[in-house]
Amino acid sequence: MRKSILGLFQQPEPAADAMDGLKEAGFELGTFDVLTGTPYPEGAFGEHVPQHRLFRYPAFGAIIGFTLAVFLTSVTQLAYPLVTGGKPILSIFAMLIIMYEMTMLAGVIATVIGIVIESRLPNMQPGIYDTRITEGWIGVVITFDDESKVADAESVLNKAGALEIKHA
Amino acid sequence: MASQAVAHEAEHHAPPPNVDADVVTRELIATTTGASGRFKAWTWGLGILSVVGIVALILKFIDQGDDSTKWGYVAALVSFLLSVTGGAPMVAMAPVMAKANWVRPITRIAALFSFAGVATIIMLIPLVAILPPLVTEGARRRTVWYMAPDYSPHFWTTLSLVLLLITGIALFYSAALPDFASMRDHSTGWRQRLGKRLARGWVGTDVQWRTLRMRIGMFGSFYFLILVFVNFLVSTDFGQSMVPGWRDAIFPMYHTVSGFQAGVAGVVIALYFSRKYMKLEKYIHLDAFWSLGRLLFALTLLWIYFFYSSFIVFWYGRSENDIATLDLLIKGPMIYAFFAGMILLWFVPWWILIWNKVRRGTAMMVVGSFVILIGLLIDRIRTFVPAWSVPGDQIHQKWLKVIPETVWPDIFDILIMAGGISLVAFIVMMMTRVIPVLSVWQVQEFNLLAKPIRYMKGHATLVAKPD
Repeated sequence: MRKSILGLFQQPEPAADAMDGLKEAGFELGTFDVLTGTPYPEGAFGEHVPQHRLFRYPAFGAIIGFTLAVFLTSVTQLAYPLVTGGKPILSIFAMLIIMYEMTMLAGVIATVIGIVIESRLPNMQPGIYDTRITEGWIGVVITFDDESKVADAESVLNKAGALEIKHA
Repeated sequence: MASQAVAHEAEHHAPPPNVDADVVTRELIATTTGASGRFKAWTWGLGILSVVGIVALILKFIDQGDDSTKWGYVAALVSFLLSVTGGAPMVAMAPVMAKANWVRPITRIAALFSFAGVATIIMLIPLVAILPPLVTEGARRRTVWYMAPDYSPHFWTTLSLVLLLITGIALFYSAALPDFASMRDHSTGWRQRLGKRLARGWVGTDVQWRTLRMRIGMFGSFYFLILVFVNFLVSTDFGQSMVPGWRDAIFPMYHTVSGFQAGVAGVVIALYFSRKYMKLEKYIHLDAFWSLGRLLFALTLLWIYFFYSSFIVFWYGRSENDIATLDLLIKGPMIYAFFAGMILLWFVPWWILIWNKVRRGTAMMVVGSFVILIGLLIDRIRTFVPAWSVPGDQIHQKWLKVIPETVWPDIFDILIMAGGISLVAFIVMMMTRVIPVLSVWQVQEFNLLAKPIRYMKGHATLVAKPD
């Protein structure tokens, strides 16, 4: 079973020091995280900011939608070649509306799917936590596979000025 | 991270000091409990009026369900409620996307109006039943639905309003997750249990905050798209298509923009009463009124722009259908409503909101907002009542040959309108018992990013704007 400890800080600066200390002590990125009651600007604690891939979803969806729209409008018009008002069978201005709508529709649907994937499912068993975090305290949580590192992490947290350390 | 100093004019108030995060949490969560006697009395009164309004709606449907000419006031009410309840949540979204710091503490109050969309849907139900199908008396009437199935307007308007409600609630919930966690941590009883259930394991990790921002952005964008679509459907299917010869491409946009104006006015009113009667002066700063005042002023001027852009086409067009449309909507049975609406929706608020001192205060801002809402209600009556007063047997004419007489509201209409408006206020007030009226985490974020400072010999707020 994985073990976690939570260091609690009343001010953000010592919490940022603790994050630096954990990095310097050799803890891998992703094994420690910061818990806050309000969103601090990204990177304020020197935490690892993973690059999300959300922007790929609408672009991918839009390409699919546009391709489908071109296929749909071209094939239907070629299947029923009715000349209207002397215009060509494949009339781009008549096709533009469908192309725009389908590009947008597929882009929107792909964005929704992307948001769901990027958000991931909520973790209903969040693990170690303290209710003072929603009162402005900062938590630095470290998760271990190897219990021999607990003492190292406690030392870093204490050195940074943690007011309390909780174990779970 | 860029920062900027926003200097205030010499006579402006010094920015209020920041409040500690634990005090913010404690005090805002406490607003959900211990309602005053006055609050309870108003809630009961509005609740009773809401029930009376719904009963009147049912009785009217039983009594007058076969005569569409008598449903103009209900159509005007649906349009009015859509404008207020649909427009208000835009305040929770648009300035946030523009990274306006002043709006952070007040987004919750704007988002709460989403729930009041239930009132719009309730009032729409009989209208959907009464709205004529696309093909009547063997011929297709003139609508935006060229080759669509007969009941397309009925189906799509209902669906889009339900979608607007769902998206509005999703937008509210996305932004409310951290506050449900605060309720889980610091509330008691059923509120704590509700917070635990709805917080979905929120602990405030970096990933959770990032996905929260993504969700707000996504639902905010969808909300805007759906809102414009709903305004288009309601204004064309329940307004223009009821009148032969009324062809106006600007009217849907006019309807939408005046809806934004009403939404901001609604937020100002809710903000004023929350600030005053929940003792939230230290969280709802004058800056919020000041900024909302400028937004409201701009939207008030946009009203006359869109009205005039629409009017001038009919005025210069002078075709038979142009003249008939002007006779019906402006010069004819609704001439007094037209002037009253214009004065209250544009002229009076313009002359109230043009003064800097008014926009920096609260009292006249709320007066201006009430004037705008009354003006909008009259303007919606001016538009929808004559539209619905056209008899069904004239719907296939090229233009209106006989202008109907003024339709006055009957007792049902008065009770329905009072009930519908009360239901909106009732729902918003009840929601303040469920979740803090101001967003706890956004008030804390506001304090995190904005610091009151001395700037040379004056005061200023130093605002950090994270990229």
